[in-house]
Amino acid sequence: MVGSPVLLIAIPLLAAFLIPLIGMIWKESVRLIPGLVLAFMLVSSASMLLYVTNNSTIIETIAGWQAPWGINLVFSPLTGFLATLMIFLGFIVWLFSYRFKRNVDFEPAKKYFIFLMMLVAGAVGIVITGDIFNQFVFIEITSISAYALTAFYTGRNSAEASFKYLLMGSLSSSALLIAIAIIYSQLGTLNMADIADKMYLMPTGYKITALIFFFMGIGIEAEIFPLNGWAPDAYTEAPGPIGAAFAGIVVKAGVYAMIRLVFTLFDIPNSMQFLVVIGLVTLIVAETSAIKQDKLKRMLAYSSIGQMGLVFVAFGIGTAEGVFAALFLMLNHAIIKPLLFLSGSYLVFNSKEKKISEVNGLGKHMPITSLLFALGAFAIVGLPPFSGFWSKLSVLTAAANEGMILIIALVLIVSVVEIVYYFRVVNRIYFFEKSDNVVVQKPRINAMIAMLILGSIILVIGFDPDIVSIYLHKASHDLMNTREYIDNVLSIGQSLTK
Amino acid sequence: MEMIYLILVLFLGGAVLTWLLGKISPIIRDILFISSVIIPTVLFFMNVEVGHDVSFQVLGYKLSWGISYLAYLFSYIVLGLGSLASVYAVAAMKGKKNLGFFYSNFILSIMSMMGILLSRDLISFFIFWEIMTWSSYLMVVFRGKDVQKVGIKYFVFSAIGAYAMLMAIVIVNSLTNSLLISDLVSSFGSFSLSMKWLIPLLLLIGFAVKSAMMPLHVWAPGAYSNSPMAFTSMFSGALSKMGVYGMIIVMVSLVSYIPNGFWLKETIAWLGGITAVGGTLWAVAQDDAKKLLAYSSVAQLGYIIVGIGIGTPLAMLSALFMAVMHAIFKGNLFLVVGAIERQTGTSNLTEVSGLIRKMPWTFISALFSIIALAGIPPLGGFVGKWMLYESLIGSNHYLLVIVVFFSSTAAFLYSYKFLFGFFLGQEEKEWSHIKEAPAMMVVPMMILAVATFVLGTFPGLVLNPIDNGLQELGFASTQGRYWEMSALFNEWGNQVMLQPLVYAIIAVFLFFAAFLTIKGFKHTRYVTTKDISSSGEVPKEHENLTFSQNFFQPFLRAVEPFMKRRIDTYYSGIGNGLEAIFDFTRRIYTGNGQTYALYAVIFIVVLLMFKNALFGL
Amino acid sequence: MELILNILGAIATIVLAFTVGMSYGGIVRKITARVHNRMGPPWYQNFIDAFKLAGKTTAINHGIMQHFGPAFIMVSSIVSLMIVPVLNGGGWFENLNFGGDLIFLLYIMVFGPLGMALGAGQTGNPNSAIGITRGLSQMVGFEIPWVMALVALMVQFDTTSIVDIMRIQNESGTWMMFSSPFAFIAAVMAMLGMFRYSPFDIVGAPTELASGPVSENGGKYLLTMMSSGSIFAFVKLTLYVDLFMGGADNLIILVLKTFALYMIPVLYGIVSPRYRTEQSIRFFWGWPTFFGLLAILYAVFV
Repeated sequence: MVGSPVLLIAIPLLAAFLIPLIGMIWKESVRLIPGLVLAFMLVSSASMLLYVTNNSTIIETIAGWQAPWGINLVFSPLTGFLATLMIFLGFIVWLFSYRFKRNVDFEPAKKYFIFLMMLVAGAVGIVITGDIFNQFVFIEITSISAYALTAFYTGRNSAEASFKYLLMGSLSSSALLIAIAIIYSQLGTLNMADIADKMYLMPTGYKITALIFFFMGIGIEAEIFPLNGWAPDAYTEAPGPIGAAFAGIVVKAGVYAMIRLVFTLFDIPNSMQFLVVIGLVTLIVAETSAIKQDKLKRMLAYSSIGQMGLVFVAFGIGTAEGVFAALFLMLNHAIIKPLLFLSGSYLVFNSKEKKISEVNGLGKHMPITSLLFALGAFAIVGLPPFSGFWSKLSVLTAAANEGMILIIALVLIVSVVEIVYYFRVVNRIYFFEKSDNVVVQKPRINAMIAMLILGSIILVIGFDPDIVSIYLHKASHDLMNTREYIDNVLSIGQSLTK
Repeated sequence: MEMIYLILVLFLGGAVLTWLLGKISPIIRDILFISSVIIPTVLFFMNVEVGHDVSFQVLGYKLSWGISYLAYLFSYIVLGLGSLASVYAVAAMKGKKNLGFFYSNFILSIMSMMGILLSRDLISFFIFWEIMTWSSYLMVVFRGKDVQKVGIKYFVFSAIGAYAMLMAIVIVNSLTNSLLISDLVSSFGSFSLSMKWLIPLLLLIGFAVKSAMMPLHVWAPGAYSNSPMAFTSMFSGALSKMGVYGMIIVMVSLVSYIPNGFWLKETIAWLGGITAVGGTLWAVAQDDAKKLLAYSSVAQLGYIIVGIGIGTPLAMLSALFMAVMHAIFKGNLFLVVGAIERQTGTSNLTEVSGLIRKMPWTFISALFSIIALAGIPPLGGFVGKWMLYESLIGSNHYLLVIVVFFSSTAAFLYSYKFLFGFFLGQEEKEWSHIKEAPAMMVVPMMILAVATFVLGTFPGLVLNPIDNGLQELGFASTQGRYWEMSALFNEWGNQVMLQPLVYAIIAVFLFFAAFLTIKGFKHTRYVTTKDISSSGEVPKEHENLTFSQNFFQPFLRAVEPFMKRRIDTYYSGIGNGLEAIFDFTRRIYTGNGQTYALYAVIFIVVLLMFKNALFGL
Repeated sequence: MELILNILGAIATIVLAFTVGMSYGGIVRKITARVHNRMGPPWYQNFIDAFKLAGKTTAINHGIMQHFGPAFIMVSSIVSLMIVPVLNGGGWFENLNFGGDLIFLLYIMVFGPLGMALGAGQTGNPNSAIGITRGLSQMVGFEIPWVMALVALMVQFDTTSIVDIMRIQNESGTWMMFSSPFAFIAAVMAMLGMFRYSPFDIVGAPTELASGPVSENGGKYLLTMMSSGSIFAFVKLTLYVDLFMGGADNLIILVLKTFALYMIPVLYGIVSPRYRTEQSIRFFWGWPTFFGLLAILYAVFV
């Protein structure tokens, strides 16, 4: 055992509570501690990921209660991969927002980092928990911190966005609770592996109803159409790094919850087709909406939604290749979209309206930030030799192998739309004249480092995708192999009862 | 290290280093730039041999690199023109901003073209194809003019083409479980009929965009004229040839095996013919030399596409020969425009005039290229044209031969307009200070001009490599065989075919030149272009006698009915329609929380209502 | 030795073409005058003009391109003369024609006009340039029916060689103007434009363009251009005779046939007013092109 999954949740939560206390003694610690915590988590999580990739899944039971009775944490290649990714992004977001604004007071910074810690803790919890009610709780933790972070700027708009998010979030919670209640009433268990094991006992009608409520509950978090109305507002009004965290962490957790349901818990074959259809609709609606946006972050938000649609399409293909492609997409999206949000937030730093037209001509004034934004744009639309290309290629290959030619065509047509709106922005950055009333904000060194890390990852994966493919293959194998998951989790419990 | 890797790495490293180290000093940057084009070029021609493949795995796909005879032919174009254009670029771009960016893009696009030629599998082909697209896109927008319109149009069309290609690639992968081009070709016969049509069609869309075939050409005039001329020379000369390269492979190795694929070939050939006519007519109507040459490129590629579409060995021979020639003369003409633009600050034919005595070397190289472009013997352009007509008649395309001939005759109009507009006509005071372009620009232009002459006299120099390439594609050796079809080529054998004629032409010319010069020229005195007979009067200094507006107005009036409809307007119509639809979808997101909640409720209600239909087991 | 003979033969051909062409020019002037009810110059007036021009010293030039322009056009005339077979069955006047490739001929025939256009362009005289744009535009007009007619011939006999076409006519005993009449009609209509007599004389438009392209040339320049024009007229007529009238077995027949042919544009021109450029282009793309199409269809299906 190289580490304990429970620490990945416990430490950030603990840190979240301790930050205000220690902050009373030493103000700087409010900013430093999250970084240290996230760094520790990253190391621990990465080493565990290495371990599970080569050995067996790590399963941790809480308080000695074995599955299926107690809560257990599953650190498998899939969950470990996602958890590591989220922690990494949490770290990047911390690094970037360490004094995001020079004059941020102690009080907002304290709140900011508390909620960031809770956000990461919640998201990691969603991914590594093996208990469905526990997952619900983590979803709530994540959502609540997300609401708070959305409203961070305490303006009218942020409050409104946060409220919309809250409204949808409460719908989500109710739906989730109903779904969990249905399952518990039928199967009498809340452990995911156990539910999956016994799912065949459940009457079809209940099963489908539960799945539909799950779809609604988690769909809201995972930004599927038409449940994603909150997302553009929240992304736009939240601080830039939080937009990155939403795109890289929160949504990923939602997607994970969704696919865990569809792949592991439920055995309804049509749900795959449903994923494809809903993913395609999400993709098309979001990308076509993005092209007409005039605010930068709003455009990025729609693009993010669209990418999630594509991820669902890839999962919906249902083959190991499809899952591999979807995970690859998630990885790339989790790297590229934060880069876009982070660099984008500097491009429109001093503007009130955050309009796309305000980035005109900034390429000369902030060359590296602009270059990184352009790199992100090139990568996200899937131009080789950047990382986005390989994931897009994997999706298409997986779809083609299943004969889904129409889907390939649709995805590619939408990609053209994507190219148009990203390139319009890149053109503005580099080839337009800067208007005089735009004040350039040079990125701070820590922000620059954060962005450079993301940028270099894009290049590295782009030139050698095989350095991540082994983890992705393991993860997709892990997700596809439901039986193994059930056996892994339940074997500990069974050994106890025998 | 394998030589192929080394070459690509040198290009890539050169691109990065030129950009980074170029910030230190311009001299380092220029040296790095030229050497990172020239060194890999030399290495390539000295060390890379046909048939030596290297392969490796990425993400479980087997990628393979190596060079074929056909690709070797195209690499002459890419590297030859690339080296000359890069030498030219250093002088031409001197003092411009963002040169590091320009140079490294330049190297990247050469690298990507070489990558395309070296690719033996579809994925690396696509990767390099896309690198080529975006590096050339960055060149198109380099000057910051019309970026949202011209640049986006170029990229959208390229992306449509590239994605059509990508779709074909993934389908091929699903069918053959391999991405090697050779596997595609060998297993193509076993595909179902619909796939036999779908895959070549998709690939052809991709290639047709790059080779600017109607109706996918609308990006070309803007993109060609918008990039810096040093690059447009590559753009039109070499980059568009990548489309031709791909098209040849598809037409020969795939389309030939489709049942009734004959019709596809006919369609392509006709589209090529229409492209040629349309491009020519629009070129005649242009007043900007860049636009004129851009449309002319479209037209010239039309001929090449006709040749590929016909697909007989002679037609292929002519298409490839014209591809090489087009790279030479059109590459050169864009360099000429670049030189003139650099010296005068404009490329508008109605503004500049009478440069012949100011820029004689530029004029000579332009003259040679124009003669080659117009297909007039004895320069190289004629050989390709001749083979094209011969093959069209030989394969019973009688109407197409008229179409092609019309377009190539109308090409005289814009050829003359180009030469007259820049070099001839009144020598205005405004341009009296113009000097010849620097030697680093003139020398590459002159080399290309000489090349048009050499290839006109010794076409065998290019026909032999073409022949190798064609044999590789499965054609029987054309050596001598098809060249004999005409009496013209028959009498002279292959290497010396055109020589007696060329010598006769030179002899007659020299004789009359001597006749005019001896005992006469010495006593004549040069008079300015103001000193002319204008109904018996000598015009005054200030009188404007420049004839450049509405140059071919009578002709354009005659062809007006053909030019009324522009494909461009249809595309803009589609674009506007789409934007309107997009605006509608945008309105789905009303910004109202209640609406969103309503959506969620509707979502779950609908799902619950149709749950059995959706998820029923 | 052979080379010297060849060169001598070539020179003889050129002299022949020059003489015949010049005489025709003079005769045409005479005929035109008579139709107009004038006296007109003697038929040898053109020779007189030529000698006069040869004797003049050239006083000015407008630069190198203008200086060499006449040489360019001479190249075109003479090389096409070398390619067109003068008489049936080779022998005398064979020159460079080794089968005479039609496509090559088509292209070398435009070499001269383009060279001259460049020369005229350098003079800076706007009238020259205007004349050239008109000439080139008109050329695009008449080339269409002309090429259609040629393609019809090539299709019918499956060859692009002039010599072959002549041989086939002699073997079958019928002239092409009878065996493929539509091609002949199209070609003759194209010929109207080729010779630039009225109604297609807007290129030179003597009154308002001051002779158009040649307006800045005098002395030797004009002489060269004039001789070139005469030779070129001979080449074109001989080509028509070769293609459509079975060639000629000896010079007398050649002269008769070419003269008869030459009368078509001349006589048509005398009684016609002048077309504007776009009108003449539209003219050529009307009936002549229709006949050209008919000719091709006829060749393909009959």
